[in-house]
Amino acid sequence: MNDPTSTPTSQTPLLEASAISKRFAGLRAVGGEDGLSFVVNRGSFVGLIGPNGAGKSTTFNLISGVLASDSGAVRFDGHDITTATSDVIAEHGIGRTFQTPRAFESLSVLDNVVAGATSPGESLRAAFGRAWREHESATVDAATETLERVGLAGRADDLVTDLSGGELRMLEVARQLVRNPVMLLLDEPTAGVNPVLQQRLATLLEELHSEGMTLVVVEHNLHFLLALAEQVLVLTHGELLTEGPPADIRTDAAVISAYLGDDHAA
Amino acid sequence: MNWPQIIVTVVTLGSIFGVVTLSLNLQHARGGMINFGIVAYFAVGAYAYAIFTQPAPQGLDQYKFGFGWPWPVALVAAAAAALLFAAITGWPTLRLRGEYLALTTFAFAEVFHSFLLNERRIGNGTVGLANVKRPISDWGPIEEKYVFAGAAALLMIATLLVFRRLLRAPYGRALDAIRDDEVAALAAGKPVQRMRRQVFLISAIPVGIAGGLYAMFTTLAQPSLFTAEVTFIVWIALVLGGERSVYGAVAGTLGLIFFEEVVRAWPFETVRSAQIAASAEHIVTGLLFIAVLRFQPFDRIAERVKATR
Amino acid sequence: MLFLQFLTTGVVTGCFLILATIGFSLTRRVEGFLNIAHAELLGVGAFTTWWLNADKDWHIVPAGVAAIMFTALVGLFVARLIYDPIRERGPAVLLITSTGVAFVIGGVIDAMIGTGIRTLEIGLATSYEPFGIRITNYQLIVVAFAAVVSVSLALFLNRTRTGLAIRAMSVNPDLAASRGIDVRTTSRATWLLSSGLAGLAGVMLAVLATLTTDLPFAQILQILAVAILAGLGSLYTVILSGLIIGIAMDVSVYWIPAGYRPLVAFSLVILVLLFRPEGLAGTRAA
Repeated sequence: MNDPTSTPTSQTPLLEASAISKRFAGLRAVGGEDGLSFVVNRGSFVGLIGPNGAGKSTTFNLISGVLASDSGAVRFDGHDITTATSDVIAEHGIGRTFQTPRAFESLSVLDNVVAGATSPGESLRAAFGRAWREHESATVDAATETLERVGLAGRADDLVTDLSGGELRMLEVARQLVRNPVMLLLDEPTAGVNPVLQQRLATLLEELHSEGMTLVVVEHNLHFLLALAEQVLVLTHGELLTEGPPADIRTDAAVISAYLGDDHAA
Repeated sequence: MNWPQIIVTVVTLGSIFGVVTLSLNLQHARGGMINFGIVAYFAVGAYAYAIFTQPAPQGLDQYKFGFGWPWPVALVAAAAAALLFAAITGWPTLRLRGEYLALTTFAFAEVFHSFLLNERRIGNGTVGLANVKRPISDWGPIEEKYVFAGAAALLMIATLLVFRRLLRAPYGRALDAIRDDEVAALAAGKPVQRMRRQVFLISAIPVGIAGGLYAMFTTLAQPSLFTAEVTFIVWIALVLGGERSVYGAVAGTLGLIFFEEVVRAWPFETVRSAQIAASAEHIVTGLLFIAVLRFQPFDRIAERVKATR
Repeated sequence: MLFLQFLTTGVVTGCFLILATIGFSLTRRVEGFLNIAHAELLGVGAFTTWWLNADKDWHIVPAGVAAIMFTALVGLFVARLIYDPIRERGPAVLLITSTGVAFVIGGVIDAMIGTGIRTLEIGLATSYEPFGIRITNYQLIVVAFAAVVSVSLALFLNRTRTGLAIRAMSVNPDLAASRGIDVRTTSRATWLLSSGLAGLAGVMLAVLATLTTDLPFAQILQILAVAILAGLGSLYTVILSGLIIGIAMDVSVYWIPAGYRPLVAFSLVILVLLFRPEGLAGTRAA
């Protein structure tokens, strides 16, 4: 609910997670004794790293409404989104891609992106009217532009099943971008993506960042992430181990030992 | 073989059941919901119509309710009753997915069927309600049965147009997205819960009206008319028609009903051979159903059409 | 006193349900889908027994045995011909397909048997009255079979190679395959076993009830009820679940009209599905 006493200014964080936690079958996935707490400032580029099983994707799930937090609160842009469902959160302006890319398989590549946007004709009442037709071409144009931006323009009419893994990820990004999100959560966007595409993604993220979008990226590919992020949060066993700028994190002994036995491509 | 009569019956029954298949098309092919209990909404409409039009109980009648109202009111009541039933059964079941949704809808329909069989006060038990009003009206030179077939066809066409309009709008695309990947659809801002409920409720309305028409046509509302077999017949019609398109739903239903009526009307020499033919019809239909599910000829054709464009 | 009578018939009903549902549960866990056609396999067993016994004058025992073996083969045939090719399409498609299979098998039975009731050529039931509760010899046979089958099945699943393979597959097919279990053979064994059990249940049905061609399909609802209540657990949950539903159904007659018996079963299904989809087992599916 909108709290009138805390008008969002550039000082207040865009995203604020306070003491959130999640248990699965008795095992704690996220949140230590005091739960997990962190903030993301407006316009920042934040990296979220940690070894496998640290709870990064679960944290994303808690923020984006896929899972409900067992405790604490999540505030975004002045709204309490702790118990909100994913669709409501998406409408608030949080975009999110998934660890395993998801797509609408019966729709073409272009239609996937069109479907990503919230068109006027999607409500029951509007569907029976005529107004949505005018908006439709504008939506298609926006979708085409977004496809160009992620480099999939030539694949607009293809089936989703024809895309490679990396292209599917770009499609997912496009599907979120067309919504003009305030904050974009990306879950391992470079996993299984070839270096050329990775470079394109890096450039795209830099552009988005310079345009003012807030980005939170989970990555195992530290080489990719530490070059882009301004701030890095390190998660282990569902708790915040440390946070700081990439340069500090790169040399932090605790972080390195947390990664030992795990892949730490640097 | 009285072909004109067969055609009229096929148009009438095919249209009535075609409405039910259209609802399944909306719910399943586009909405991704497997409803194995759709006969219950059909039955609710039929019984509501019967109860609203029949005279008040007298003498040996065991049923308690009869309002004796005119048939247009009763048809509205049929629609409303189906809507209400969908709202009640939808509330708990729409949280479920896949096979669990299929089972729950199936169970609800069987509970309702069992209820109809046993509760004599509402539905007069196994005997059913027999005084269903059928508005007799030869429209000028057109015989009553043609008027009836026309009315049924009108309902089906109206349902088809309404559903098609809905599905052509971005609403249909959003439904497809939800059906394909619910989590991704939520991440794209689609109100999944709300849309599924809307689809469930909207598709119940024409099914209720169709039920009312069916009661009108048969002048009966009897539990034996509303068994799980009806659900399976429309499912088979849906699959045979290619599942995805509204036109396929209609075509599949008409084809199936045509097949059934031809077999039924065929002049067999013995009762036994007629029974065997009826069973054979079942078997062939079931085999076609299994084959279409496996080989998905319609999807192949659609893909080939798309590829050559 | 009447209550105890209903309780007793409830146990008998429960035992029948156990026999009818074990096979169903087995294919659900190993093959991963709900095979609606399982109920029609009961019909195959029941009517084959009737045909051999009443039409061909076989003694009931060889008739029953032959029926069971035949049903096992039919089940395997259907599985290999129809289900195996579409296994990767997912449980929902398999469920829908199995309704088509039920349609076909039901149609075949209809065509071959025709309408009207059929009864076996076995003597009239002898009833005993221990402690004033009436029970017939045939009912006792059902209970005995349920007990014997349960014990044998438990031994089979725990002591034999095939049985252990089946158990492994029902928990995690991929893991089982990677441990060297021959998935295909185990799958076939499962189908034979589960269809044979359906056949046995069909024989029991023929012994206990007067047969009509629509009777087998009517069982699917009770079978579903037992299977859903049991969840994806072990054999024991099926036994427990069968007894619970059988007893609930028959004891309910104490309070509500007998026609509502199936309604009791279906209402239980709805409640379980809504509030505790894992059933008695309590463990979520993988």
